[in-house]
Amino acid sequence: MSLSLSDVEVDSPATLTEALQLLGRSKYRVIAGGTDVLIRMRTGPIPNEKLLNIYQLDELRYIRSDGERLRIGSLTCIADIAASPEIRRFALPLAQAGDEFGSMQLTNKATIGGNLANASPSGDCIPPLYSLDAVLTVASAGGKREIPVKDFFRGYKKLDMRPEELITEISFRKMAGDEYGQYLRHTLRLGEAISVVGVSMCLKKGPTRDEYVAARIALGAVAPTVMRAPKSEEIVTQGTLDEARMRDASKAVLESISPITDVRGTGEYRREMAVNLTYRGLREIQARGRGGT
Amino acid sequence: MALKEYSFTLNGKPVVVRAPPAYDLLDTLRDVLGLTGTKNGCSEGECGACTVLMNGKAVHSCLTIMEQVRGADVVTIEGLASDPESQVLLRRFAEEGAVQCGYCTPGVVMASKALLMRNPMPSAEETKEALRGNLCRCTGYSKIVKAVMKGGT
Amino acid sequence: MSGTELKWVGKPIPRKDAHGKASGSVAFPTDMSIPGMLFAGVLRSPHPHALIKEIDPSKARALPGVAAVLTHEDIPGKNRYGAFIRDRPVLCDDKVRYVGDPVALVVATSQEEAEKALSLIEVNYEKLPAVTDPVQALTPGSPLVHPGGNICRKTRITFGDVEGAFSRAAVVVENTYRTGSQVHAYLEPEAGLGYLDDQKKLTLVVGGQSPYKDRAEICETLGLDESTVTVITPPVGGAFGGKDDVPVQLHLALAVLKTGKPVKLVWGRGESCVAGLKRHPAIVRMKTAAASDGTLLANQVEILFDKGAYAGLGPAVLDVAIENCNGPYRMPNVDIQATLAYTNNGVMSAFRGFGAPQVMFAMESQMDILAEKLGLDPLEFRLRNALKKGDEGAFRNRINSGVGIREAFEKARRHEVWRSRATEMKGDTPWTKRGVGVAGAIKGFTLGALPDKGSAKIQLLENGKFEVKVSTTEIGQGMTIAFAQIAAEALRCDLDDVTVVCGDTLRTPDTSVTSASRSTYLGGNAIIRAAEGMLGLLALSAAEHIGEPESNLQARSSAIVSSKSGRLVSYATLASKSKGLIESTGTFDVPRVAPIPGSLEIPHLFYMFACALAQVEVDTLTGSVKVKKLVLFPDAGRVINPQMFEGQVEGAAIQGLGYAIMEDAKIEEGILRTPSFATYLIPTIKDAPEIEVVAVGEPEESGPFGAKGVGEIGLVPIAPAITNAIYNATGARLFEIPATPERVYRALKGSGAPAGVNQELPPRTRSSA
Repeated sequence: MSLSLSDVEVDSPATLTEALQLLGRSKYRVIAGGTDVLIRMRTGPIPNEKLLNIYQLDELRYIRSDGERLRIGSLTCIADIAASPEIRRFALPLAQAGDEFGSMQLTNKATIGGNLANASPSGDCIPPLYSLDAVLTVASAGGKREIPVKDFFRGYKKLDMRPEELITEISFRKMAGDEYGQYLRHTLRLGEAISVVGVSMCLKKGPTRDEYVAARIALGAVAPTVMRAPKSEEIVTQGTLDEARMRDASKAVLESISPITDVRGTGEYRREMAVNLTYRGLREIQARGRGGT
Repeated sequence: MALKEYSFTLNGKPVVVRAPPAYDLLDTLRDVLGLTGTKNGCSEGECGACTVLMNGKAVHSCLTIMEQVRGADVVTIEGLASDPESQVLLRRFAEEGAVQCGYCTPGVVMASKALLMRNPMPSAEETKEALRGNLCRCTGYSKIVKAVMKGGT
Repeated sequence: MSGTELKWVGKPIPRKDAHGKASGSVAFPTDMSIPGMLFAGVLRSPHPHALIKEIDPSKARALPGVAAVLTHEDIPGKNRYGAFIRDRPVLCDDKVRYVGDPVALVVATSQEEAEKALSLIEVNYEKLPAVTDPVQALTPGSPLVHPGGNICRKTRITFGDVEGAFSRAAVVVENTYRTGSQVHAYLEPEAGLGYLDDQKKLTLVVGGQSPYKDRAEICETLGLDESTVTVITPPVGGAFGGKDDVPVQLHLALAVLKTGKPVKLVWGRGESCVAGLKRHPAIVRMKTAAASDGTLLANQVEILFDKGAYAGLGPAVLDVAIENCNGPYRMPNVDIQATLAYTNNGVMSAFRGFGAPQVMFAMESQMDILAEKLGLDPLEFRLRNALKKGDEGAFRNRINSGVGIREAFEKARRHEVWRSRATEMKGDTPWTKRGVGVAGAIKGFTLGALPDKGSAKIQLLENGKFEVKVSTTEIGQGMTIAFAQIAAEALRCDLDDVTVVCGDTLRTPDTSVTSASRSTYLGGNAIIRAAEGMLGLLALSAAEHIGEPESNLQARSSAIVSSKSGRLVSYATLASKSKGLIESTGTFDVPRVAPIPGSLEIPHLFYMFACALAQVEVDTLTGSVKVKKLVLFPDAGRVINPQMFEGQVEGAAIQGLGYAIMEDAKIEEGILRTPSFATYLIPTIKDAPEIEVVAVGEPEESGPFGAKGVGEIGLVPIAPAITNAIYNATGARLFEIPATPERVYRALKGSGAPAGVNQELPPRTRSSA
């Protein structure tokens, strides 16, 4: 039986400033879309606390082009991210994560900020943000600061964020015309489900055929946090990205990951999937790179 | 349990309810307002039986707390059932044999309505994408897809 | 009832309740409420196996909103119930035997108060070592779930001489197959409402399957008189066998009797997954022999079912497994050992297919392996052995009823999906492989050798319309429209003039249980008899009215007409004269023979058959299986309503798909690792392939207008059809289901088939996947 939330108090500030002031004064659990928080509160792993409902803060809902960067308000819902022409064009892996994320009912409510704050290693938005070298803006009543996404996650569900802070914005440099990105994930059925493994990659094309001069490859659900795979990235840029190199680069992800065994799969299987998914992503990008799209 | 007052639009009419702030919209609809058309299948956003339209978008009412409903425009299956423009959709479900036990059906109809509002002639693929969050254990889905593809007009 | 064109039977008429269900206006048990009602909640064991040292409900009882907290001390009589073996406590007394075993019952003024009260009940448990698998259960020295030992049932049935057959055989194939547990996952969880009516009679309105059986169980267990209890089953949000073991009825009865107030009990989804019933997991060892010309010679079978903590309907499920483990084929020599072993792994009971899916996975895999060894086409091999009407079954039972399996296999053989089959066909990418697999299936319908009879009542209302009353329950299968069609046909009236009233011990006669795919057959026959009786009464009344002898009269288009003079009197006129007092009851007793020694219900006299073709695409990078198309050839006899029929077969097929590749109710150390829809994955609309249903078979002579049972057979052949297709696509054979992506991937690696980028084989661990 799920626990009732009838006794939980909720404050709903009208502005971000008010929200930060409240957070500065009292202890709250923040609720945005609610699609993670409510489930966890009902099944008991987190205690019933006062909720700070920020869902109505429309000032945090935006997708803005700012010169070379794209800026996304933290309360932008996943459906809007998947549908955004700018995100599809300049940050394809993030849009693809939005496509895969879940049902229409879920993506209409779940927010990118919430996906980050929930800090599940299998959160679909996170590997794309790693591969885009995204920067998070975190605010409190005392001001704001910027943190690269890879520094934001310190360990399993450990964030570089204090209780009085809120994620307000996610930004990253737009992918250029010679950059190719892809997000893939493996799930246990064709319909939506929590990812067993997720891979996001952004590769920068060089002038010659199958040449790639930069690569960012990030994997989710295979370690306490999302992990970049520097060895794989190095292999990709060291020579022509042919079949052998793609295989070597894929196998090299094993150096960066430490997947666990859980109800969705064994650690062994996840290692295989991390390699195979990386391979599939590289093949996809190789095909697009050759086609010039 | 402290109750607060929430004003919102329900099926086109203004309504005020008293409920605890973290009470979900689903329980409010069913237990406070007596509108039992919206169903509880899982309380965790996996089955879609609780689907309602909020500000024109399909959402899980089991994962929407009353504090988030203030001022919103909510449409439930009861609203759809009395909306002349939606009669065709309901009829299609009956005609195509897309209803067996019927417990998932209101949620499926609401999600279908959300799809048809933006895409009146969906393909089978588009229908499946839109309904991927609605579980049905009885029909095997074939007839649901047929009903929705015919359903807009 | 023959010769002339049927007016209603055989037509794809949309069910009448569809609009009400689609628009949310039909009330399910979870939707119902009574002013002033209380809310019940169940305290359940967190341990798979433990002694109960003490239960202290005092803090819970002290809460202002709590009307009652009940424990085993409040249970009259022996505190044990069960359909076959009365081994299950209403509320645990000596110990708990599975995670979810009920220990206390709370009744409070609100759901929240009930939850609070549950958290305040203190139970002192002494943990015991748990029995976590059926093989362990049978090992000497294993902890005991029940004092009588861990064997719930064990039997052996032999005919002929299997050893002799093995020595003569050209090929002998021996393998061990494993099948997993499956959760029913109906969208509406277990729920009900109870109250005392104005005569102080206990009335339960519950999501169940068999109101009379429920009432009998309630009265027997709680020491009540049947005349003081009414059970009503309104439309239920899915059942599939999971609501047949009184999940809420006993607790509701107790709560109402104790408090004197109306009480509602609704299970949460997690509660339903953990504490609810499941399909028996199985280990099936099969040694099958064939002659060089492809004739099946012998089958030596060892069936071990994980019973879980209580017997439930397990003894009958085991029987069905035994009866159907040879598939739809002639098998002259059999040696079948079957055991139900108690464990602390939840409770297993009825689930659509009822023991047949487990053994069909084994047998239909054996068939493909044998065919390959013999160098025969898999469908050709099946056709050579397929049963025909008049054949002797494995249990020396003559099958004199309809057998459509040959037609099913023949149609499958000619179907485009089968003809397009080739070995290791490539998919869209270098790492996807396509394949096609076939499987046959058999399962008896009705209760076989067990007594099975039921009644239907038809009443002529004052307005000239009819009410047909049956106690079978509308669990989604469309029983109400099918019965209306049968009744309207038999009564020679308009379909709109028939209303079906169902599932109510006060208003409807006992049509027995809604299970075993028997409702149409038994209920339909009872309705026809009631209709015949009704027409007789109407003729009698009409004879007086028209002034002609009954021999001149026939029923036609809602009137009794004289074939001599043409004079007629309408049903409506006869009805207004009789003021609603004309009613007729029809009873049908299912033909049966005595059970063979060692069995409860073998043989059935009537069988369902089906063939399934599965077209799959296997992703060798992940092991994911995409089922692209399913073609089902079910032997349905005469189809009463093609739309309902297709719906039943399609729905059953998708449940079979889930069973085959994704539904993995992992119970480890007695704990269910998949207690929600987030972890227990059932097929979504994206997982459902195109399904084609091709009805085969002859009308069943003894069936109502020739109809047979159809509810279950669509599920039974799916798993082996899919795993046979995976083999065709990749050369990797699955001996265990569900064939989850990890299992398939490991099977690919294990068979040496190319899979993945890493060519080194990872070590194989059976239990981890």
